[in-house]
Amino acid sequence: MSKRVGIVGAGVTPFKGTWREKTYYELAQMATREAVKDARIDIKDVDAAFYGIYNDIFERTAIPEHPLHGICGMQNKFGIRITCGGATGAYTMSAAHAYLAAGRYKTALVLGVEKATDCFDFSSMSATPEVIKSIGWSGDSFFEQPIGWSASDSYAEVVLAYMDEHPGDLKPEITAGISAQLSQQVKGNKFAQRQFDQVTPEEVINSRLVVYPFKELEICVYSEGAAALILAEEETAKEISRNAGTPVVWITGVGESNEHSFAGKNQKIMSRIMSDYYASHRAYEMAGVTDPQKAIEIVELHDAFVHQLEISMAEFGLVPLGRADSLIEDGLMTPGGKYVVNPCGGLIYCGHAVGASNIMSAWSARKELIERKQKTALVHGTGSTVAQYTCCFVFEHA
Amino acid sequence: MATQREKLIPSRYIPDIGSHIETIGGKDYLVSNDAMYTFYRRTRGELSPFFLALRDEKKLLGCKCTKCGLVRVPPFLTHCPDCNFTPTDLIEVDQVGIMNSTPPITYFATSLFQHMAPYGRGRVIFKGADTAMSVNLYTTTGILVPGILKKGTEVKLVFRDKRIGEMSDVFCVPTAELSSKQVNKKGLQESEIDWEAPVEPHLPKASEQDVKAFKEAMKEMKSVVSHMNNNKRARKDIAGWKRNIQVKTRGGQFAILINDGDIRIQEKVLSSPDFVMVCDGPNTLLDGLAYRGAITDSIINKKLWISKNMEFNTIFKLDRMARSVARSQKV
Repeated sequence: MSKRVGIVGAGVTPFKGTWREKTYYELAQMATREAVKDARIDIKDVDAAFYGIYNDIFERTAIPEHPLHGICGMQNKFGIRITCGGATGAYTMSAAHAYLAAGRYKTALVLGVEKATDCFDFSSMSATPEVIKSIGWSGDSFFEQPIGWSASDSYAEVVLAYMDEHPGDLKPEITAGISAQLSQQVKGNKFAQRQFDQVTPEEVINSRLVVYPFKELEICVYSEGAAALILAEEETAKEISRNAGTPVVWITGVGESNEHSFAGKNQKIMSRIMSDYYASHRAYEMAGVTDPQKAIEIVELHDAFVHQLEISMAEFGLVPLGRADSLIEDGLMTPGGKYVVNPCGGLIYCGHAVGASNIMSAWSARKELIERKQKTALVHGTGSTVAQYTCCFVFEHA
Repeated sequence: MATQREKLIPSRYIPDIGSHIETIGGKDYLVSNDAMYTFYRRTRGELSPFFLALRDEKKLLGCKCTKCGLVRVPPFLTHCPDCNFTPTDLIEVDQVGIMNSTPPITYFATSLFQHMAPYGRGRVIFKGADTAMSVNLYTTTGILVPGILKKGTEVKLVFRDKRIGEMSDVFCVPTAELSSKQVNKKGLQESEIDWEAPVEPHLPKASEQDVKAFKEAMKEMKSVVSHMNNNKRARKDIAGWKRNIQVKTRGGQFAILINDGDIRIQEKVLSSPDFVMVCDGPNTLLDGLAYRGAITDSIINKKLWISKNMEFNTIFKLDRMARSVARSQKV
């Protein structure tokens, strides 16, 4: 019988376009300090560390987690790094959950950190082309890297294929409206990279095309920052919670799925994000959620692109496939609607510090469940080429 | 259409050894030029027949499962995982196929592929194959824009004249843009296709009204550019960047001079501009600079012409500056 696992502490650093003042060592320790402070425990009380760092190239070192172990006070304890593309943070939580549920440890530090924008393109004298080049090394090295694979164009493949199947969905005014709404929601997130970057739907529509069909203001922004959680098995979690005076948010469902990276018969169905479908439904099954439209109140979704946010919501079973625009048209995610989606502003406005992003989403979901006194949240991470990887969680607050 | 690079790392990407200080909140922070680089003699192993067939024989190979018959192109495995790892055989497939889905078009490329932008990359199911192969996509008619290639569009595989045994040895163009002889030819090469060369659009002679409109637009243009020059965030967008751009419109021409964080407009004709922009009316460019629409999109919509596709880079910077000014005004 596996043990119940809950979140008893969380902390994030500010997400910024660039942190000239901090290395990833300090960012990692900052988030860890905040998480143990939030849990009101000593770092000596933490048994194991799980590091979420996506890309060695960003940190400019292989095994980038090795200095963090001592810096974060984990000397001589268990430490493991997880890297799963954009879904790194979510998979890091999944790994920690598995170790605690299996009874290997009582408490765990889940730490995500990324410092992306040290990468710099000296030919254009700007960071972004080099940041996305560094991510470009993640594409298939034999068949896709040499022809200009990028994270954006691989997700655009999925979005355009979805639009081939559902030509009336993902209308430009809806994707623009969602981006504008997220820009309003981010106002309450003091750690966000774009806390004060409120945009109108018209601005989104007028923003430049980066990779067809994505406009600049419909894409997540690369960030630097860190996020940390303290997880604990049931008895330890209750004890920490009593001491801290903060309720435990339980991880009642976990689900993962990685699709095929090649498309065609028996392989990736380009118009679907089956990884989102399988991972979310596996998490529902574990949590005993039989009707997600009734159960899920808060969604912290990895919105790499607004269009993908809409498709993911459909794959989660929260809106029908082909009718994802009902999120806005039927007011399902507008203020006061059925679902609270990305109250932190999502990765588009809070920022995407890759290894830390999904952990930041978990930090936000936990905070929102407690503050809003709601019961159930869905947390999601997506990554790799053509939205190949997904890891989902159901969080519950008694 | 873009060509391949000659060096693995072109010299323009390689910075000098050096460092600088950035002062934030009264404190100095050191920032150093740096690189991680590793060179390879990369083995192609079991994939060698596929890449050698592209390079030397101008053939496209796939692999067919000896049990279920599924034909995978490219042949990225030797045994079929759907049939508990039954062996596959290499076979040749046709060089005409259809788009598996509507392909994306990259306008803002990574630093490695800026020379290629704008380019399409999508998946084609070639005749005789069950799976889709990822390829670059171009049009023979100029800049690739949405609508030319869609799900189901028939395309032809084209081979580069100079091939090195990489996926970039081939790309696809719509068969509708080729003659039937070209479509039917096996191993069609890029030099056998008529590529529409970039020709500077001809602007009709200006009327008095055009000249008047130009002068009015110039007034606002200068004001907008002055705002950019006074905006820290916008100046940062063109830090380290130098370009002299000639802009030609029906009512007159002017120069945009970008020089390491500084942008100026001058009503003059440059003797050797870095590139040329042509638009019928100056408002097309003005709207972009004033954040009333993206200059990038004006090029895609063929309202604005640029003489070098590589300069999409500069266009992005101008779009970025417009947004930086708008963003600063909100805070």
